[in-house]
Formats: sequence, C-alpha cells, structure tokens
Amino acid sequence: MAILRMKRLRLMAVRSRKDALLRELAKLGCVEITETGEELRQTESLRPESSGLMAVRTRQASLDHALELLGQYVPVKSRLLSAKPELAGEIFLEDDGVDEALSVAQAIADKHEQIRRIAAEEARLRGVIESLEPWMELDLPLESAGTERTELVLGAIPAKVSRSAVVSALSEAADEAELFPVSEDKNARYLALLCMREQLPAAQEALRGFGFTAAALGGLSGTPKQAAAAAEESLKALAEEKAALIEELKAENVHRDELKLASDKLATRVAMAEAEERIVGTESTLVLEGWMPEEREEELEKVFERFDCAWELRDPEEDEYPEVPVKLKNNQITNALNMVTNMYSLPAYGSVDPNPLMAPFFILFYGLMMADMGYGILMIVAALVAMKAIKPREGSLSFCQLLLYCGISTFIMGALTGGLFGDLPYQLVHMFNPASTWKGLPYLFNPLAEGGAEPVLYGAMVLGVIQLNTGMVVSFIQKKRKGNLVGAIFEEGSLWVILVGGILLVLDMLHIVALPMLHNLALAILIVGGLMLLFGAGRGAKGFGKVTAAIGVLYNTLTGWFGDVLSYSRIMALMLAGSVVGQVFNSIAAIPSAKGVTVFSLIVFIVIFLVGHALNFALNLLGCFVHDLRLQCLEYFGKFYEDGGRPFQPLRIRSRYLQTEEQ
Amino acid sequence: MDFLSIFNGYAIGLLGAGLAAGLACSGSALGTGYAGQAGAGLVSEDPGKFGKAMILQVIPGTQGLYGFVIWFLAFSKLAALGGAAMSVAQGWQIFGACLPIGIGGLVSGAAQGKVAASSINILAKKPDDWSKGMILCITVEFYAILSLLASFMMLNGIQP
Repeated sequence: MAILRMKRLRLMAVRSRKDALLRELAKLGCVEITETGEELRQTESLRPESSGLMAVRTRQASLDHALELLGQYVPVKSRLLSAKPELAGEIFLEDDGVDEALSVAQAIADKHEQIRRIAAEEARLRGVIESLEPWMELDLPLESAGTERTELVLGAIPAKVSRSAVVSALSEAADEAELFPVSEDKNARYLALLCMREQLPAAQEALRGFGFTAAALGGLSGTPKQAAAAAEESLKALAEEKAALIEELKAENVHRDELKLASDKLATRVAMAEAEERIVGTESTLVLEGWMPEEREEELEKVFERFDCAWELRDPEEDEYPEVPVKLKNNQITNALNMVTNMYSLPAYGSVDPNPLMAPFFILFYGLMMADMGYGILMIVAALVAMKAIKPREGSLSFCQLLLYCGISTFIMGALTGGLFGDLPYQLVHMFNPASTWKGLPYLFNPLAEGGAEPVLYGAMVLGVIQLNTGMVVSFIQKKRKGNLVGAIFEEGSLWVILVGGILLVLDMLHIVALPMLHNLALAILIVGGLMLLFGAGRGAKGFGKVTAAIGVLYNTLTGWFGDVLSYSRIMALMLAGSVVGQVFNSIAAIPSAKGVTVFSLIVFIVIFLVGHALNFALNLLGCFVHDLRLQCLEYFGKFYEDGGRPFQPLRIRSRYLQTEEQ
Repeated sequence: MDFLSIFNGYAIGLLGAGLAAGLACSGSALGTGYAGQAGAGLVSEDPGKFGKAMILQVIPGTQGLYGFVIWFLAFSKLAALGGAAMSVAQGWQIFGACLPIGIGGLVSGAAQGKVAASSINILAKKPDDWSKGMILCITVEFYAILSLLASFMMLNGIQP
C-alpha cells in the first residue's frame, strides 16, 4: 500500500558464473540492472560486456515469424476466455528445445518462401494464357518470325479504328504487305502483318499512326493453342506442388507449442542480453549496478552469497529520486486502481501512492454513476467469470478486480436508487396488471423521481468537496513532512478557512441554522481566509509583483475551486442519463403489450429489452469509467499528486504465449 | 405574436419532437459516416481489425439514440397534453424542450465522428493503444449526455 522502498545495488561477481547468476536474477525477477555510474564508466580496466543481443533478437523474431505463418496456414480459433498455459519459471530459463524449434521455424519459413515463388510463377503463367487468348485461331508456330524474304508480326489496333483505312494506308507504305485478321473483341482487332523484310519498317511506321501495338509473346513456342496447353500443364503441376508444400507446412503445426515455448525462452534470453549490455567487467570479474526493493534484501543477499559475490547496498539520495524506479505495493482492493494509475502516470519516488487514496472514491463514484442492480450483477458475473477462466495477471487482473468492485458498488447504489434494468419491475407489473397502482421499487434517492434530481446534484457536489479536501489534507501532510509547514498553512489552510466561512454563510442564507451574528461571523471568517490566501500568494514575489501575484492566485484558486466542484455534477448527470435511456427502452418494449400481453408482444418486449439494455450497458460501462477517471486524474490528483515516476523494470522472465506459475 | 399563434399547438410540438430525432440522427449519421470511411480504409488493409474499427464507428451513434429517446418522450408528452387539443403555448414548450438534444446531438455527433475517425489511425498504427482513442471519443459524448438531460428535464417540467 505504498511505494516500495528501493535500494541502490552495486555488485561484483566472478565472470565464470555470470550466466548462472543472470538466470537466477531473472527467475527472482526483482533486480533492475541499470547503466553503471559515471565513476565505473571512467575506470579504464572495465570494459562493457558483449552480449550477442542482436543475434538473440533475430532468432527470437524468426520464431515469432514462423508462428505468424503457421497462424496464416492453420488458423486457430481464438477463444475469448482462455488462460495462457502455465509452466514453472525454471523451464523458461533452460535452453533445450530452442535449436530444434529454430530449425522448425527455418523449415516453415523456407516452405512459405517456396509457396510464394510458386504463386508468383502461377500468376505469370495465367498472364501468358490470357495474352494468348486472342491468337487461338492462328495456326502458325509463334517462334517463326516469317520466312527468308518475309516477316510476320502479330499485333493489335484499337477496335474503333476502321479496317479499310488501315489497309489503304498500309498498301500505300508497303505495297506487298498484307494484314490478316485473327480475332477481335470489344477493345481491339488482333491482326497478323505479313510483309517483305525490307518493307517492314515502312509498314510498321504506317500502322503506328493507327495505334498498332505488337503482341508480347516472346519466348513461347508452338502454335498459340499448343503454347496455352503447355502453360495449363505447368499450372497444374505447380498447383500440385503448392498443395503438397502447404500440406507439409500444415504438418508443422504439431510443433506449434514447442515454437511458442522456445519463443518465450528466447524472449527471456533477450531480456538477459539487454541486462548484460549494461554490465561492465574485467577478464575475470564483472560489476553491475541497479535497483532492488528493500523488502527482498534478505532473499537476494542469500543468492549473492551463493554466487560468491561482493555487494553493497545503500538508500537513494534525495537528488537521485527522479532516477529511482517506482513499484507500488498493493493489497487486493487497491491493486484494482493500478489500472488507473498506470494509465495516468506513476507517482514520483518519495511521494505518495495514490491507489489507497483513490480506491474508495473511484469505486463509490462509479457505483453512483451506473447505479443499477441489474448492471451491477452483470459486472460482478463478468468479472468473476473472467478471473476464473483467464487467470489474469498484472494489468488484466487489475481490470477484473476493478470491474468486480465497481460492480458491487453499482449494485448497492442500484438498490438505493431502486434501479433494476431501469424500471423493469414497474414495467412488468403494469404490463401484466394495468390497473396496478404500484409505484416501482422503493428508493432512498432517485434523480428521476419528482424533485429527486436536485438532492442528487447537491450530494454529488458535496462528495466533490469531500474528495477535494482529502486531496488537500494529503498535500498538507506532504508539505509538512518536507518542512514547508508555513506554505501548507497559507495554501491549504487559507482555503479551509474560506471553506468554513462559505459553509457557515450558506447555512445562514438557507436558514438551516439560525444564530445571531452568524452572518457577520461567516463574513469575517471569509475575509480572514481571503487575506491569508492573498498574503500567502504574495510571499514569493517582490514589489508590485506581490499585488499581481496575489490577485492572480486569488482569482485562479477561487475559479478553479468553483469549476472543480461543479465538475462533480457529472456524477448526477451520468446517473440520470443511464436510467433515462434504460427506462425509455423499457417503455418502448412495453408498447405492444399495452392492449394486453400476448406471446408476440412478449417476444417483442424481450428483444427490445435485450438490445436496448445491451447498448445502454456498454455505453455506460465505458462512459462512467471515463468520467470517473477524469474526476480522479484531473480534479483529485490536481490537489496533491506528484507524477513522473519511472516504472520498475526488473530483469525477469518474459513470456508472451505462456505464463509462469504463480508462486 | 399573432403570427406564431396561428399555428396549432400540436403541430408545433410535433415539429420540436421531429427536430430532436432528425437533427440528432443527422449528427450520428455524419459521425458514423466519417468513422466508417476511415474504418473501411483500415479494414481494406487489415481485415482482422474489423471488430475494433466497428466499435469506434458506433461510438458516434449514440446521439441518434438520445434524439430518439427525447422524440419518444416528447411524443408521449404530446399525447398526455391532449394531442390536437393542446394549447399553442404548450406546443412551444415542447418545441423548446426538444432543442438541446437536436442541436447538441447534431454538432456533437459530427465532432465525435471526427475524433473516432482519427482514433482509427491509432488502431492502425498503435493497435495496443486503441482503447485510448475510445476514451478521447467519450469526452465528446458528455456534451451529448448533457443535451439529453437538458431536454429531458425540460420535458419533464412541462405540466398539463
């Protein structure tokens, strides 16, 4: 429930046990190896390690590529809710099976390449057959380009050119030349030009004016019919070859699991190689520096002893804080909020963990916005099913937990506002018994009831004031810890004075509390608070700057607060919108049943009900999350949060297709 | 004023209800249209992203739904006020109450569609971060929700 305390580690080890040590650290997964400090980098006798990172990465990528290809040839139906298989951590650190998997991957890649080449050849042959199409009637071998004295040229002219014009132009240019029509389609006439060898250039020149283009049939032999038949023959052979290759490739599917495991093993090797890049060493020793959580100190020291290491541990200095990695330690409840914190930004080292401060508000606000027993149950069931089926870790675990807690809160708030899929019970009762005078489920507060919206609106803003003040209390304590008590009193303290004055004034004006002099007392407190704020704002500035700074701060603080509190009205807005849309769907669904319930009208009711509520549920699930997130990250965090923490990235087993067993 | 009162109150109310649904649905049509175009471009390259592209496309579809909700409520209110027998003033009240979702739905639907279309880019280039695009879209949604609420509360306040 806090930011884990980190220690700076400097470790010396024997080179011969480097690999074993790195494996052990990867298994424990709690040491982040960083670049060594300036001092070590300047030492001449220490050289950076060579790690072979590129080679490992390439090998790992070839496995992933092979898996991707397998996926193309043998698609796997991805099951929506399926857990990754679990294996003991040690297995990811062994090398056996990797070489075999790499040769399988190579075979898959080779076969895919062959298949690709065949496909290209097939496309070429189909092109040839298509280009032979117009010449099928020609009974001459294509390789014969004429006789000793004559030349034969095949070609086409556009269909719109008249044949007689071409013939007359040709006879003018080359009197012995002759054009034989072969075929025609709607685009072109296909012609064979026969002429004396010496007249060919003149004949071609004459024809070019009509858009004559020679047919590209080079390299073919036999009559067009024979050539096409030969191409068909090759196509058939290629198709067989391709089918055989695809079958062979599909047969490699039995190795899919081995490929996955090997890929994860190599991914872990990549992580180790990346860490190695940051280690320096001499011929027989190594030095590494990094961060480790204080709570794992004893465990790690035993490991270091076992590997005959020499090490030193120290607490980070204040000026090192920006570099210290941040890891949050959470319990079952606050872990859910990791999702929100990670989406925003981790807290700076040395500040506070926002999760426990945010958890009650986030979950409460979500429940208020969604506020429906039916939706709450759906969320709880979805979360429980997902947690059981996919055994989520880290990010997805946070998500499932958040869904569960928000679901519970939604259910409770639904019970308090009398919402069950909108006003389903009310609609049902009135559908079956139009004479009923039942007013629907009882409720504590309900924005849809007569005059019910205003109390909810004010309640939302009161919740806002409470949350903002919680944020200020945290900020106050943080400032005090850092020895800035005076600043805290002027910044947070003056706002509290103003708040007390404001509340008293409102109580007086609404005649909730009737005391003599209350009005004057409230005004006096307000003025004192305002002066404190002005004085606090002017403390840092000099001369005339004091005045502008003070006015600026006063203006920004008051408008900022006003805006922040009003922003909480979205709690009421979303609560209302969700139930309005739900109720309207219920009413629309009930229309066909207005003149008595029949089987048909009941079916219509169920269909409209299901579709409408699915839509409303999905929209509210997302909408409430986003707006809750906004209240936390913008309004609440703005009061105290120091972000900018760097996530702790220890050397550990990296797995994508499988996962390690939970310890 | 005489000019305005020559109309029948029921007709004015129907006009308002019609605008609530029509304008808001137009906003959604524009919005889902923009996002759909971008989505179709992406799916032509990578059909596997169809599901996510479709989710982004339907996000600007809610304005139409809100418009329809108000149309429905206004229509039943018109019947409750006596249909053709209602007063001109009541007709104008309905008309006024229908305006927020009509205008808000039209503009926010189109605006949200543009965000959704840009979010399709996120889906294309950084598929892991596509849910962030969804969050950007939902920010625009809030104003459609406020328009819905404004219309709803005004409609609710109209007494027979």
